[in-house]
Amino acid sequence: MTTTAPAPTPARSTPTPGPNWWERFRQGSAWIVITTVAVIIAIWEFFPQLGFVNRVLFPTFSETVTAFFQLLGGGYWWDDLAKTMSAVAIAWVIGVAFGFTMGVVLGTSPFLRQAITPYAIAVQALPKVVLAPLLIGWLGFGPESKIALAVIICFFPVWIDTMVGLALPSANEFKLMKSLKASRWQVFTKLQLPSALPMIMVGVKHALLLAFTGVIVAEILSASDGGLGKLTKEFASQLNMGLVYSVVTIVVILSITLVSIADVIERRVVFWSEESRARKK
Amino acid sequence: MTTMTQTAPLVRVDGVTKRFGSGDKEMVALSGLNLEVREGEFISLLGPSGCGKSTALNIMGGLLDATEGTVTFSGEPLTEPNRHIGMMFQQAVMFPWRTTLENVLLPVEIFGEKKKDFIPKAEELLEMVGIKDFRDSYPWQLSGGMQQRAALCRVLLHDPKLLLLDEPFGALDEFTRESMNQELLRLQDYAKSTAVLVTHNITEAVFMSDRVAVMSARPGRLVDIIEVPFDRPRRPDLQTTTEFIKLVAKARQMLELQ
Repeated sequence: MTTTAPAPTPARSTPTPGPNWWERFRQGSAWIVITTVAVIIAIWEFFPQLGFVNRVLFPTFSETVTAFFQLLGGGYWWDDLAKTMSAVAIAWVIGVAFGFTMGVVLGTSPFLRQAITPYAIAVQALPKVVLAPLLIGWLGFGPESKIALAVIICFFPVWIDTMVGLALPSANEFKLMKSLKASRWQVFTKLQLPSALPMIMVGVKHALLLAFTGVIVAEILSASDGGLGKLTKEFASQLNMGLVYSVVTIVVILSITLVSIADVIERRVVFWSEESRARKK
Repeated sequence: MTTMTQTAPLVRVDGVTKRFGSGDKEMVALSGLNLEVREGEFISLLGPSGCGKSTALNIMGGLLDATEGTVTFSGEPLTEPNRHIGMMFQQAVMFPWRTTLENVLLPVEIFGEKKKDFIPKAEELLEMVGIKDFRDSYPWQLSGGMQQRAALCRVLLHDPKLLLLDEPFGALDEFTRESMNQELLRLQDYAKSTAVLVTHNITEAVFMSDRVAVMSARPGRLVDIIEVPFDRPRRPDLQTTTEFIKLVAKARQMLELQ
Protein backbone atom coordinates (compact mmCIF):
# COMPACT_ATOMS: atom_id res chain seq x y z
CA MET A 1 0.00 0.00 0.00
CA THR A 2 1.15 3.47 -0.80
CA THR A 3 0.29 6.46 1.31
CA THR A 4 -3.32 7.12 2.06
CA ALA A 5 -4.78 10.56 2.39
CA PRO A 6 -5.37 11.56 6.01
CA ALA A 7 -8.60 10.43 7.56
CA PRO A 8 -11.24 13.14 7.66
CA THR A 9 -12.02 13.87 11.26
CA PRO A 10 -15.74 14.24 11.81
CA ALA A 11 -15.87 17.72 13.26
CA ARG A 12 -18.32 17.57 16.11
CA SER A 13 -18.31 20.86 17.93
CA THR A 14 -18.66 20.21 21.61
CA PRO A 15 -20.09 23.16 23.52
CA THR A 16 -17.30 24.56 25.63
CA PRO A 17 -18.45 24.71 29.24
CA GLY A 18 -18.36 28.36 30.26
CA PRO A 19 -17.38 29.68 33.71
CA ASN A 20 -21.01 30.17 34.77
CA TRP A 21 -24.42 30.79 33.22
CA TRP A 22 -24.19 34.56 33.62
CA GLU A 23 -20.94 34.72 31.64
CA ARG A 24 -22.40 32.54 28.91
CA PHE A 25 -25.52 34.68 28.86
CA ARG A 26 -23.49 37.88 28.41
CA GLN A 27 -21.20 36.40 25.80
CA GLY A 28 -24.02 34.79 23.80
CA SER A 29 -26.68 36.57 21.80
CA ALA A 30 -29.53 35.64 24.15
CA TRP A 31 -29.55 39.03 25.86
CA ILE A 32 -30.06 40.79 22.51
CA VAL A 33 -33.18 38.71 21.88
CA ILE A 34 -34.49 39.26 25.39
CA THR A 35 -33.90 43.00 25.25
CA THR A 36 -35.60 43.30 21.86
CA VAL A 37 -38.66 41.38 23.05
CA ALA A 38 -38.84 43.45 26.23
CA VAL A 39 -38.73 46.72 24.28
CA ILE A 40 -41.44 45.56 21.87
CA ILE A 41 -43.71 44.45 24.70
CA ALA A 42 -43.17 47.74 26.51
CA ILE A 43 -44.14 49.74 23.42
CA TRP A 44 -47.10 47.44 22.82
CA GLU A 45 -48.29 47.89 26.40
CA PHE A 46 -47.71 51.59 26.97
CA PHE A 47 -48.30 53.33 23.63
CA PRO A 48 -52.08 52.61 23.66
CA GLN A 49 -52.26 53.39 27.41
CA LEU A 50 -50.55 56.73 26.95
CA GLY A 51 -52.92 57.56 24.13
CA PHE A 52 -50.40 57.58 21.27
CA VAL A 53 -52.69 55.22 19.36
CA ASN A 54 -56.36 54.33 19.63
CA ARG A 55 -56.77 51.76 22.36
CA VAL A 56 -59.76 50.11 20.71
CA LEU A 57 -57.90 49.48 17.46
CA PHE A 58 -54.56 48.72 19.12
CA PRO A 59 -55.15 46.71 22.30
CA THR A 60 -52.31 46.56 24.81
CA PHE A 61 -50.17 43.51 25.42
CA SER A 62 -52.00 42.60 28.64
CA GLU A 63 -55.39 42.96 26.95
CA THR A 64 -54.19 40.71 24.14
CA VAL A 65 -53.01 38.07 26.58
CA THR A 66 -56.38 38.17 28.32
CA ALA A 67 -58.17 37.85 24.97
CA PHE A 68 -55.89 34.97 24.02
CA PHE A 69 -56.89 32.93 27.06
CA GLN A 70 -60.51 33.94 26.57
CA LEU A 71 -60.30 32.50 23.05
CA LEU A 72 -58.54 29.33 24.18
CA GLY A 73 -61.11 28.87 26.95
CA GLY A 74 -64.03 29.52 24.62
CA GLY A 75 -63.65 26.25 22.81
CA TYR A 76 -65.75 27.28 19.81
CA TRP A 77 -62.66 27.97 17.69
CA TRP A 78 -61.50 24.34 17.61
CA ASP A 79 -63.90 23.65 14.78
CA ASP A 80 -62.47 26.58 12.81
CA LEU A 81 -58.94 25.40 13.49
CA ALA A 82 -59.80 21.90 12.24
CA LYS A 83 -61.45 23.30 9.11
CA THR A 84 -58.46 25.48 8.28
CA MET A 85 -55.85 22.84 8.96
CA SER A 86 -57.65 20.08 7.07
CA ALA A 87 -58.04 22.39 4.06
CA VAL A 88 -54.33 23.28 4.27
CA ALA A 89 -53.36 19.61 4.48
CA ILE A 90 -55.53 18.56 1.53
CA ALA A 91 -54.45 21.53 -0.61
CA TRP A 92 -50.81 20.96 0.23
CA VAL A 93 -50.91 17.27 -0.68
CA ILE A 94 -52.73 17.96 -3.96
CA GLY A 95 -50.48 20.93 -4.77
CA VAL A 96 -47.28 18.97 -4.07
CA ALA A 97 -48.47 15.96 -6.07
CA PHE A 98 -49.54 18.11 -9.00
CA GLY A 99 -46.43 20.31 -8.92
CA PHE A 100 -44.16 17.28 -8.67
CA THR A 101 -45.87 15.54 -11.58
CA MET A 102 -45.66 18.66 -13.73
CA GLY A 103 -42.01 19.11 -12.76
CA VAL A 104 -41.13 15.53 -13.67
CA VAL A 105 -43.01 15.64 -16.98
CA LEU A 106 -41.45 18.94 -18.01
CA GLY A 107 -38.08 18.17 -16.46
CA THR A 108 -37.65 14.98 -18.46
CA SER A 109 -39.13 16.16 -21.75
CA PRO A 110 -37.24 19.08 -23.32
CA PHE A 111 -39.98 19.41 -25.94
CA LEU A 112 -42.79 19.91 -23.42
CA ARG A 113 -40.56 22.15 -21.31
CA GLN A 114 -39.99 24.50 -24.23
CA ALA A 115 -43.66 24.40 -25.17
CA ILE A 116 -45.09 25.09 -21.73
CA THR A 117 -42.52 27.12 -19.75
CA PRO A 118 -43.44 30.56 -21.24
CA TYR A 119 -47.10 30.09 -20.22
CA ALA A 120 -46.07 28.81 -16.84
CA ILE A 121 -44.07 31.97 -16.22
CA ALA A 122 -47.02 34.10 -17.35
CA VAL A 123 -49.31 32.25 -14.92
CA GLN A 124 -46.80 32.67 -12.11
CA ALA A 125 -46.69 36.44 -12.73
CA LEU A 126 -50.44 36.57 -12.08
CA PRO A 127 -51.48 37.48 -8.51
CA LYS A 128 -53.54 34.32 -8.14
CA VAL A 129 -55.77 35.70 -5.39
CA VAL A 130 -57.65 37.46 -8.21
CA LEU A 131 -58.99 34.02 -9.15
CA ALA A 132 -60.71 33.64 -5.77
CA PRO A 133 -64.10 35.10 -6.78
CA LEU A 134 -64.03 32.95 -9.88
CA LEU A 135 -63.30 29.81 -7.89
CA ILE A 136 -65.98 30.65 -5.32
CA GLY A 137 -68.41 31.15 -8.19
CA TRP A 138 -67.51 27.83 -9.72
CA LEU A 139 -67.10 25.69 -6.62
CA GLY A 140 -69.36 27.39 -4.10
CA PHE A 141 -68.64 28.63 -0.57
CA GLY A 142 -67.64 25.25 0.83
CA PRO A 143 -64.13 23.90 1.41
CA GLU A 144 -63.70 23.10 -2.30
CA SER A 145 -63.09 26.69 -3.36
CA LYS A 146 -60.68 27.21 -0.44
CA ILE A 147 -58.70 24.14 -1.39
CA ALA A 148 -58.70 25.07 -5.06
CA LEU A 149 -57.29 28.52 -4.41
CA ALA A 150 -54.63 27.12 -2.07
CA VAL A 151 -53.63 24.47 -4.63
CA ILE A 152 -53.29 27.07 -7.37
CA ILE A 153 -51.16 29.25 -5.12
CA CYS A 154 -48.95 26.49 -3.71
CA PHE A 155 -48.14 24.07 -6.53
CA PHE A 156 -45.94 26.43 -8.49
CA PRO A 157 -42.71 26.32 -6.43
CA VAL A 158 -42.86 22.52 -6.31
CA TRP A 159 -43.20 22.41 -10.07
CA ILE A 160 -40.36 24.81 -10.78
CA ASP A 161 -38.03 23.38 -8.12
CA THR A 162 -38.61 19.83 -9.36
CA MET A 163 -38.00 20.86 -12.96
CA VAL A 164 -34.83 22.78 -12.15
CA GLY A 165 -33.63 20.09 -9.75
CA LEU A 166 -33.84 17.35 -12.35
CA ALA A 167 -31.44 19.32 -14.55
CA LEU A 168 -28.90 19.76 -11.73
CA PRO A 169 -26.62 16.72 -12.32
CA SER A 170 -23.36 17.61 -14.04
CA ALA A 171 -22.38 16.50 -17.54
CA ASN A 172 -19.92 14.06 -15.98
CA GLU A 173 -22.62 12.45 -13.87
CA PHE A 174 -24.79 11.89 -16.93
CA LYS A 175 -21.70 10.60 -18.75
CA LEU A 176 -20.99 8.07 -16.01
CA MET A 177 -24.55 6.76 -16.23
CA LYS A 178 -24.31 6.62 -20.01
CA SER A 179 -21.02 4.73 -19.88
CA LEU A 180 -22.82 2.14 -17.72
CA LYS A 181 -25.57 1.94 -20.33
CA ALA A 182 -28.16 3.04 -17.78
CA SER A 183 -31.73 3.24 -19.03
CA ARG A 184 -33.65 6.51 -18.94
CA TRP A 185 -35.57 5.23 -15.93
CA GLN A 186 -32.33 4.37 -14.12
CA VAL A 187 -30.86 7.78 -14.90
CA PHE A 188 -34.03 9.30 -13.49
CA THR A 189 -34.30 7.25 -10.30
CA LYS A 190 -30.60 6.86 -9.47
CA LEU A 191 -29.25 10.23 -10.53
CA GLN A 192 -31.77 12.94 -11.37
CA LEU A 193 -34.35 12.39 -8.64
CA PRO A 194 -31.86 12.15 -5.74
CA SER A 195 -30.00 15.19 -7.10
CA ALA A 196 -33.26 17.12 -7.27
CA LEU A 197 -34.43 16.12 -3.79
CA PRO A 198 -32.89 19.06 -1.86
CA MET A 199 -34.53 21.54 -4.24
CA ILE A 200 -37.83 19.67 -4.20
CA MET A 201 -37.81 19.80 -0.40
CA VAL A 202 -37.41 23.59 -0.56
CA GLY A 203 -40.39 23.77 -2.91
CA VAL A 204 -42.45 21.49 -0.68
CA LYS A 205 -41.73 23.66 2.38
CA HIS A 206 -42.54 26.80 0.45
CA ALA A 207 -45.79 25.18 -0.73
CA LEU A 208 -46.82 24.51 2.86
CA LEU A 209 -46.77 28.20 3.76
CA LEU A 210 -48.41 29.18 0.49
CA ALA A 211 -51.21 26.66 1.05
CA PHE A 212 -51.74 28.21 4.48
CA THR A 213 -51.93 31.67 2.91
CA GLY A 214 -54.31 30.48 0.20
CA VAL A 215 -56.72 28.86 2.64
CA ILE A 216 -56.83 31.86 4.98
CA VAL A 217 -57.34 34.33 2.14
CA ALA A 218 -60.19 32.20 0.81
CA GLU A 219 -61.73 32.01 4.28
CA ILE A 220 -61.63 35.79 4.65
CA LEU A 221 -63.25 36.19 1.24
CA SER A 222 -65.99 33.59 1.70
CA ALA A 223 -66.65 33.38 5.40
CA SER A 224 -69.53 30.91 5.34
CA ASP A 225 -67.41 27.76 5.62
CA GLY A 226 -65.64 28.88 8.80
CA GLY A 227 -61.96 28.65 9.59
CA LEU A 228 -59.35 30.86 11.25
CA GLY A 229 -59.59 33.40 8.41
CA LYS A 230 -63.31 33.77 9.06
CA LEU A 231 -62.63 34.24 12.79
CA THR A 232 -60.28 37.17 12.20
CA LYS A 233 -62.77 38.79 9.87
CA GLU A 234 -65.63 38.38 12.38
CA PHE A 235 -63.64 39.61 15.35
CA ALA A 236 -62.37 42.58 13.35
CA SER A 237 -65.88 43.54 12.31
CA GLN A 238 -66.85 43.44 16.01
CA LEU A 239 -63.83 45.70 16.69
CA ASN A 240 -62.58 43.02 19.10
CA MET A 241 -58.95 43.50 18.14
CA GLY A 242 -57.61 41.53 21.09
CA LEU A 243 -59.23 38.42 19.68
CA VAL A 244 -57.95 39.22 16.17
CA TYR A 245 -54.45 39.48 17.63
CA SER A 246 -54.99 36.13 19.33
CA VAL A 247 -55.99 34.36 16.13
CA VAL A 248 -53.01 35.92 14.33
CA THR A 249 -50.80 34.64 17.15
CA ILE A 250 -52.23 31.16 16.71
CA VAL A 251 -51.55 31.31 12.96
CA VAL A 252 -47.98 32.42 13.61
CA ILE A 253 -47.42 29.58 16.10
CA LEU A 254 -48.92 27.06 13.66
CA SER A 255 -46.84 28.14 10.69
CA ILE A 256 -43.61 28.25 12.69
CA THR A 257 -44.37 24.76 14.04
CA LEU A 258 -45.12 23.40 10.57
CA VAL A 259 -41.96 24.88 9.06
CA SER A 260 -39.85 23.60 11.96
CA ILE A 261 -41.23 20.08 11.48
CA ALA A 262 -40.58 20.36 7.75
CA ASP A 263 -37.01 21.51 8.48
CA VAL A 264 -36.36 18.50 10.69
CA ILE A 265 -37.75 16.13 8.05
CA GLU A 266 -35.71 17.88 5.36
CA ARG A 267 -32.48 17.48 7.30
CA ARG A 268 -33.21 13.77 7.73
CA VAL A 269 -34.10 13.14 4.11
CA VAL A 270 -31.42 15.19 2.38
CA PHE A 271 -28.76 15.01 5.09
CA TRP A 272 -26.14 14.87 2.33
CA SER A 273 -27.09 18.13 0.62
CA GLU A 274 -24.66 21.00 0.90
CA GLU A 275 -27.26 23.09 2.69
CA SER A 276 -27.95 20.47 5.34
CA ARG A 277 -24.24 19.96 5.89
CA ALA A 278 -23.65 23.70 6.20
CA ARG A 279 -26.39 24.00 8.81
CA LYS A 280 -24.97 21.19 10.91
CA LYS A 281 -21.67 23.01 11.39
CA MET B 1 -4.05 -18.97 -29.27
CA THR B 2 -1.47 -16.67 -27.70
CA THR B 3 -0.28 -15.54 -31.11
CA MET B 4 -3.90 -14.77 -32.00
CA THR B 5 -4.38 -12.42 -29.04
CA GLN B 6 -1.05 -10.81 -29.72
CA THR B 7 -1.83 -10.04 -33.33
CA ALA B 8 -5.49 -9.03 -33.08
CA PRO B 9 -5.74 -5.66 -31.34
CA LEU B 10 -8.34 -5.20 -28.59
CA VAL B 11 -9.38 -1.87 -30.07
CA ARG B 12 -8.93 -0.73 -33.64
CA VAL B 13 -9.62 2.91 -34.46
CA ASP B 14 -9.86 3.21 -38.20
CA GLY B 15 -9.84 6.58 -39.96
CA VAL B 16 -11.97 8.22 -37.28
CA THR B 17 -12.96 11.82 -37.91
CA LYS B 18 -15.23 13.80 -35.61
CA ARG B 19 -16.85 17.07 -36.56
CA PHE B 20 -19.05 19.10 -34.22
CA GLY B 21 -21.62 21.56 -35.53
CA SER B 22 -22.09 22.39 -39.19
CA GLY B 23 -21.64 25.21 -41.68
CA ASP B 24 -19.59 28.17 -40.40
CA LYS B 25 -19.62 26.79 -36.88
CA GLU B 26 -18.21 23.44 -37.92
CA MET B 27 -15.30 22.33 -35.76
CA VAL B 28 -13.11 19.39 -36.66
CA ALA B 29 -12.11 17.81 -33.37
CA LEU B 30 -10.44 14.75 -34.79
CA SER B 31 -9.18 14.06 -38.27
CA GLY B 32 -8.48 10.59 -39.65
CA LEU B 33 -7.24 8.98 -36.43
CA ASN B 34 -5.79 5.49 -36.79
CA LEU B 35 -4.82 3.63 -33.65
CA GLU B 36 -4.55 0.07 -32.47
CA VAL B 37 -4.68 -0.77 -28.79
CA ARG B 38 -3.06 -4.10 -28.00
CA GLU B 39 -4.48 -6.43 -25.42
CA GLY B 40 -2.93 -5.88 -21.98
CA GLU B 41 -0.95 -2.78 -22.83
CA PHE B 42 -1.00 0.66 -21.25
CA ILE B 43 -1.19 3.32 -23.91
CA SER B 44 -1.41 7.09 -23.47
CA LEU B 45 -2.92 9.68 -25.77
CA LEU B 46 -0.67 12.68 -25.25
CA GLY B 47 -1.40 16.08 -26.71
CA PRO B 48 -2.12 19.76 -26.00
CA SER B 49 -5.57 20.83 -24.80
CA GLY B 50 -8.11 20.76 -27.59
CA CYS B 51 -6.29 18.14 -29.64
CA GLY B 52 -9.33 15.89 -29.55
CA LYS B 53 -7.83 13.26 -27.27
CA SER B 54 -10.84 13.25 -24.97
CA THR B 55 -13.11 13.09 -28.01
CA ALA B 56 -11.14 10.07 -29.24
CA LEU B 57 -11.55 8.43 -25.82
CA ASN B 58 -15.29 9.10 -25.73
CA ILE B 59 -15.64 7.55 -29.18
CA MET B 60 -13.67 4.50 -28.03
CA GLY B 61 -16.04 4.24 -25.07
CA GLY B 62 -19.11 4.39 -27.27
CA LEU B 63 -20.27 7.67 -25.70
CA LEU B 64 -19.86 9.58 -28.97
CA ASP B 65 -20.39 8.53 -32.56
CA ALA B 66 -17.63 9.04 -35.09
CA THR B 67 -18.54 11.27 -38.02
CA GLU B 68 -16.40 9.11 -40.27
CA GLY B 69 -14.47 5.91 -39.71
CA THR B 70 -15.06 2.95 -37.44
CA VAL B 71 -14.03 1.62 -34.04
CA THR B 72 -13.94 -2.09 -33.32
CA PHE B 73 -13.68 -3.61 -29.86
CA SER B 74 -12.70 -7.31 -29.56
CA GLY B 75 -13.33 -7.58 -33.29
CA GLU B 76 -16.89 -6.22 -33.07
CA PRO B 77 -17.96 -2.78 -34.31
CA LEU B 78 -18.48 -0.47 -31.34
CA THR B 79 -21.45 1.88 -31.51
CA GLU B 80 -22.62 2.15 -27.90
CA PRO B 81 -21.21 1.80 -24.38
CA ASN B 82 -20.07 -1.69 -23.54
CA ARG B 83 -20.01 -3.44 -20.16
CA HIS B 84 -16.45 -4.57 -20.74
CA ILE B 85 -15.27 -1.00 -21.11
CA GLY B 86 -14.83 1.03 -17.93
CA MET B 87 -14.46 4.80 -17.98
CA MET B 88 -12.95 7.22 -15.47
CA PHE B 89 -13.29 10.96 -15.70
CA GLN B 90 -11.39 13.93 -14.35
CA GLN B 91 -13.85 14.17 -11.48
CA ALA B 92 -14.51 11.14 -9.29
CA VAL B 93 -18.27 11.50 -9.91
CA MET B 94 -19.43 10.11 -6.58
CA PHE B 95 -23.08 10.55 -5.64
CA PRO B 96 -23.26 12.38 -2.29
CA TRP B 97 -26.34 10.46 -1.12
CA ARG B 98 -24.52 7.13 -1.37
CA THR B 99 -21.83 5.79 0.91
CA THR B 100 -18.48 4.83 -0.59
CA LEU B 101 -19.52 1.18 -0.81
CA GLU B 102 -22.88 2.06 -2.38
CA ASN B 103 -21.09 4.23 -4.92
CA VAL B 104 -18.73 1.40 -5.80
CA LEU B 105 -21.74 -0.90 -6.22
CA LEU B 106 -23.59 1.49 -8.54
CA PRO B 107 -22.74 -0.50 -11.72
CA VAL B 108 -24.15 -3.65 -10.08
CA GLU B 109 -27.50 -1.91 -9.68
CA ILE B 110 -27.45 -0.53 -13.21
CA PHE B 111 -26.63 -3.94 -14.63
CA GLY B 112 -29.49 -5.46 -12.63
CA GLU B 113 -27.30 -7.85 -10.65
CA LYS B 114 -27.46 -8.88 -6.99
CA LYS B 115 -25.55 -6.48 -4.77
CA LYS B 116 -24.58 -9.07 -2.21
CA ASP B 117 -22.74 -11.10 -4.87
CA PHE B 118 -20.39 -8.17 -5.37
CA ILE B 119 -19.90 -6.89 -1.83
CA PRO B 120 -16.88 -9.13 -1.10
CA LYS B 121 -15.19 -8.03 -4.34
CA ALA B 122 -15.98 -4.38 -3.63
CA GLU B 123 -14.54 -4.65 -0.13
CA GLU B 124 -11.44 -6.35 -1.46
CA LEU B 125 -10.89 -3.51 -3.93
CA LEU B 126 -11.50 -0.88 -1.25
CA GLU B 127 -8.96 -2.64 0.92
CA MET B 128 -6.43 -2.72 -1.94
CA VAL B 129 -6.64 1.05 -2.39
CA GLY B 130 -6.57 1.56 1.38
CA ILE B 131 -10.00 3.06 2.02
CA LYS B 132 -11.83 0.05 3.42
CA ASP B 133 -12.39 1.89 6.70
CA PHE B 134 -14.37 4.49 4.79
CA ARG B 135 -16.81 2.09 3.14
CA ASP B 136 -19.71 3.59 5.08
CA SER B 137 -18.55 7.20 4.83
CA TYR B 138 -20.07 9.61 2.37
CA PRO B 139 -18.02 11.05 -0.51
CA TRP B 140 -18.08 14.53 0.98
CA GLN B 141 -16.29 13.13 4.02
CA LEU B 142 -13.42 11.93 1.83
CA SER B 143 -10.50 13.81 0.27
CA GLY B 144 -10.31 14.19 -3.52
CA GLY B 145 -7.70 11.45 -3.74
CA MET B 146 -9.79 9.04 -1.68
CA GLN B 147 -12.80 9.76 -3.88
CA GLN B 148 -10.77 8.88 -6.97
CA ARG B 149 -9.63 5.68 -5.26
CA ALA B 150 -13.27 4.78 -4.76
CA ALA B 151 -13.99 5.63 -8.40
CA LEU B 152 -11.15 3.31 -9.37
CA CYS B 153 -12.78 0.51 -7.35
CA ARG B 154 -16.11 1.21 -9.04
CA VAL B 155 -14.63 0.94 -12.51
CA LEU B 156 -12.66 -2.23 -11.67
CA LEU B 157 -15.56 -4.05 -10.00
CA HIS B 158 -16.62 -5.81 -13.21
CA ASP B 159 -13.08 -6.58 -14.43
CA PRO B 160 -13.28 -4.41 -17.54
CA LYS B 161 -11.19 -5.58 -20.48
CA LEU B 162 -10.55 -1.97 -21.37
CA LEU B 163 -10.04 1.00 -19.05
CA LEU B 164 -10.54 4.43 -20.58
CA LEU B 165 -9.04 7.10 -18.36
CA ASP B 166 -9.76 10.74 -19.13
CA GLU B 167 -7.12 12.58 -17.07
CA PRO B 168 -8.50 10.85 -14.00
CA PHE B 169 -6.12 12.49 -11.55
CA GLY B 170 -5.86 15.85 -13.30
CA ALA B 171 -7.76 17.63 -10.54
CA LEU B 172 -5.54 16.27 -7.76
CA ASP B 173 -2.40 17.83 -6.34
CA GLU B 174 0.98 16.63 -7.60
CA PHE B 175 1.78 14.32 -4.65
CA THR B 176 -1.60 12.62 -4.57
CA ARG B 177 -1.52 12.35 -8.32
CA GLU B 178 1.80 10.51 -8.28
CA SER B 179 0.68 8.00 -5.67
CA MET B 180 -2.62 7.52 -7.54
CA ASN B 181 -0.70 6.76 -10.73
CA GLN B 182 1.26 4.07 -8.88
CA GLU B 183 -2.00 2.67 -7.57
CA LEU B 184 -3.49 2.66 -11.03
CA LEU B 185 -0.56 0.74 -12.51
CA ARG B 186 -0.71 -1.81 -9.73
CA LEU B 187 -4.46 -2.36 -10.14
CA GLN B 188 -4.32 -2.46 -13.92
CA ASP B 189 -1.72 -5.19 -13.62
CA TYR B 190 -3.82 -6.99 -11.01
CA ALA B 191 -6.99 -6.81 -13.10
CA LYS B 192 -5.02 -7.71 -16.25
CA SER B 193 -6.91 -5.09 -18.19
CA THR B 194 -5.87 -2.86 -21.05
CA ALA B 195 -5.69 0.87 -20.36
CA VAL B 196 -5.91 4.00 -22.48
CA LEU B 197 -4.92 7.16 -20.62
CA VAL B 198 -5.61 10.65 -21.91
CA THR B 199 -3.15 13.21 -20.55
CA HIS B 200 -1.31 16.42 -21.37
CA ASN B 201 1.45 15.62 -18.91
CA ILE B 202 4.47 14.30 -20.82
CA THR B 203 6.28 12.77 -17.83
CA GLU B 204 3.15 11.05 -16.67
CA ALA B 205 2.47 9.63 -20.14
CA VAL B 206 5.99 8.21 -20.47
CA PHE B 207 6.10 6.87 -16.91
CA MET B 208 2.77 5.07 -17.13
CA SER B 209 2.74 3.72 -20.67
CA ASP B 210 4.05 0.95 -22.86
CA ARG B 211 3.37 3.22 -25.80
CA VAL B 212 2.68 6.94 -26.05
CA ALA B 213 0.52 8.16 -28.94
CA VAL B 214 1.48 11.79 -29.54
CA MET B 215 -1.29 13.91 -31.02
CA SER B 216 -1.26 17.29 -32.75
CA ALA B 217 -3.45 20.28 -31.94
CA ARG B 218 -6.78 20.82 -33.67
CA PRO B 219 -7.75 19.14 -35.84
CA GLY B 220 -6.46 16.24 -33.80
CA ARG B 221 -4.22 13.87 -35.67
CA LEU B 222 -1.79 11.19 -34.62
CA VAL B 223 1.80 12.44 -34.97
CA ASP B 224 3.70 9.34 -33.93
CA ILE B 225 3.85 6.56 -31.40
CA ILE B 226 6.74 6.31 -28.95
CA GLU B 227 7.58 2.87 -27.56
CA VAL B 228 8.52 2.95 -23.88
CA PRO B 229 10.73 -0.08 -23.17
CA PHE B 230 11.11 0.10 -19.37
CA ASP B 231 10.33 -2.93 -17.20
CA ARG B 232 7.42 -3.15 -14.81
CA PRO B 233 6.69 -2.55 -12.04
CA ARG B 234 8.02 0.95 -12.50
CA ARG B 235 9.37 2.86 -9.55
CA PRO B 236 9.25 6.64 -9.21
CA ASP B 237 13.06 6.89 -9.37
CA LEU B 238 12.84 5.72 -12.99
CA GLN B 239 11.96 9.31 -13.77
CA THR B 240 15.48 10.49 -12.97
CA THR B 241 17.30 8.06 -15.31
CA THR B 242 18.90 9.33 -18.51
CA GLU B 243 16.90 6.97 -20.73
CA PHE B 244 13.65 8.21 -19.24
CA ILE B 245 14.62 11.86 -19.64
CA LYS B 246 15.61 11.21 -23.25
CA LEU B 247 12.18 9.73 -24.03
CA VAL B 248 10.45 12.66 -22.37
CA ALA B 249 12.58 15.05 -24.45
CA LYS B 250 11.68 13.12 -27.60
CA ALA B 251 7.96 13.41 -26.85
CA ARG B 252 8.32 17.09 -26.04
CA GLN B 253 10.11 17.66 -29.33
CA MET B 254 7.31 15.93 -31.24
CA LEU B 255 4.70 18.09 -29.54
CA GLU B 256 6.62 21.27 -30.35
CA LEU B 257 7.55 20.34 -33.91
CA GLN B 258 4.00 20.19 -35.18
